Amino acid sequence: MQTVKVNNQTHVVDVPGDMPLLWVLRDILKLTGTKFGCGIAQCGACTVHMDGQPIRSCVLPVGDVSGREITTIEAIGEQPLAQKVQRAWLDHEVAQCGYCQSGQIMSAVALLANNNRIDDHAIDQAMAGNICRCATYTRIRSAIQDVSESVGVWQP
Amino acid sequence: MRTLVYGLLAYLMTGAGMSLASEDAAMLEKGKYLAKAADCVACHTAPGKEPYAGGLAFELPFGTLYSPNITPDRETGIGGWSDEQFVKALQEGIGPEGDHYYPAFPYTSYTKMPREDILAIKAYLFSLDPVEQSAPENDIAFPFNQRWGLYFWNLLFLDEGRFEPDPDRSEDWNRGAYLVTGPGHCGECHTPRNLFQAMDSSERLAGADLGGWRAYNISGSDSHGIGTWTEEQLVNYFRQGYAEGLGVAGGPMAEVVDLSLRHLNDRDLRAIATYLKQTEPQATGLPRPTPLADTLAAPEQPGLGSKVFAEACASCHQWNGEGNQSPAATLAGLKTVHDPKARNLMGILMEGNPASSLPVNHRMPDFGTIYNDYELSALATFVLQHFGGLDAEVTPEQIRERQAAALH
Repeated sequence: MQTVKVNNQTHVVDVPGDMPLLWVLRDILKLTGTKFGCGIAQCGACTVHMDGQPIRSCVLPVGDVSGREITTIEAIGEQPLAQKVQRAWLDHEVAQCGYCQSGQIMSAVALLANNNRIDDHAIDQAMAGNICRCATYTRIRSAIQDVSESVGVWQP
Repeated sequence: MRTLVYGLLAYLMTGAGMSLASEDAAMLEKGKYLAKAADCVACHTAPGKEPYAGGLAFELPFGTLYSPNITPDRETGIGGWSDEQFVKALQEGIGPEGDHYYPAFPYTSYTKMPREDILAIKAYLFSLDPVEQSAPENDIAFPFNQRWGLYFWNLLFLDEGRFEPDPDRSEDWNRGAYLVTGPGHCGECHTPRNLFQAMDSSERLAGADLGGWRAYNISGSDSHGIGTWTEEQLVNYFRQGYAEGLGVAGGPMAEVVDLSLRHLNDRDLRAIATYLKQTEPQATGLPRPTPLADTLAAPEQPGLGSKVFAEACASCHQWNGEGNQSPAATLAGLKTVHDPKARNLMGILMEGNPASSLPVNHRMPDFGTIYNDYELSALATFVLQHFGGLDAEVTPEQIRERQAAALH
């Protein structure tokens, strides 16, 4: 039995401790907004927040997350900053096929939440681990820049 | 009366039979455990083939050796061997036909094992299913293919004899000493070799190179070895393959943890730690690094190396080297990021840490096929400069040489 706190709800799930968190999210808790991409922490599609930090849920054993706060794409919109990000994503029509986008948004929100100075280089560093098969990168950059400006942390 | 006699006989027979069976079972159990401690399977298994059936190639300076089949197959394995022959092979390095083994087979360590331990291993190996599989012929150049020459090598370098406990030391120390110098054969990789490819007894456990990897100094030295590691940290390393901020087992050592160390019981792991911490300090090789501040941030001026790091590494290791989601991903404090020759760094980048027995957040993908030698050298250079604070540079040539240096 494993205890996980996801989106402010505590769940007790009957799975082995070495099961990746992503499997628990998608297959047990049916939170399918988080996607499976590569399974080896190289693509970023499975990004969720653990205590506010972006992590790759495909390589995190669920046994290691007890006592931590997990936030997924389903609940990130409850945070004011994330609402701004989602708004900017719509304004810029960032998504194309959309598969990588929940991971992109989770990384973008963490970047904005954890930095008080953002420039192109900071975007490169924070977003490089999230890859997009449709190459929506320029729109992702513009959307992040917009939010950075609106909250006053854009310092090119 | 007759019934009573028969009953008594039956009781005696089954009783005796049962105790024999339980003795056999105990011996098998002991043999299985010692075979793990001696890590027989690592060398006697070819990739993708049956365990213990041999055939693994060893690329040595003077040619290629293949490990033999040690399953109980009578034709291609050791099924026809007597107890005497098996003991002689392990204690003296001499095969059933009087032929000398090459010391790639660590009989120079196994010689410390008493006959009963060796026979327990034999009993375990003989309980396995026989596999019919012949190893390829060794391809060894003259004069090294003249095995009789090893008679003289053994005279000089084989310290034939069993382990003798030191009555002035604790039971744990003695158990650790036996496991390290005997079945565990740690020195075979961690002790540098002399001109004649024999372990250099003046530099025991001081560290050595092997197939492109560096087996680090594991002597009791505080400055260069594992002297400052606590017993707990050493035991964690043996059991999980890492000790946070001190060391992560990669390459051949990851295999040792996977196939051997993690299967040993706590008491034995603790004994090994006790013994290693008290071995003669050898102040050679890479010194134990001081981790840089945990405030390391992404560089202001990105280069190719830091770009590759951002794409492939940062999400697990983080820019400050703390490790994002697993303490096993902590880079700060590792010798590997402080080695100007980048030996194990190149190895782990190219080969990764794929063991399926590892928890999912301890595995590392291999980047050797994803990035080219130019990108890998830039990445390795960035890691050494960023996490090691070194003024070092890794060239694409070094990456190519490292690729060619594989042991198997």
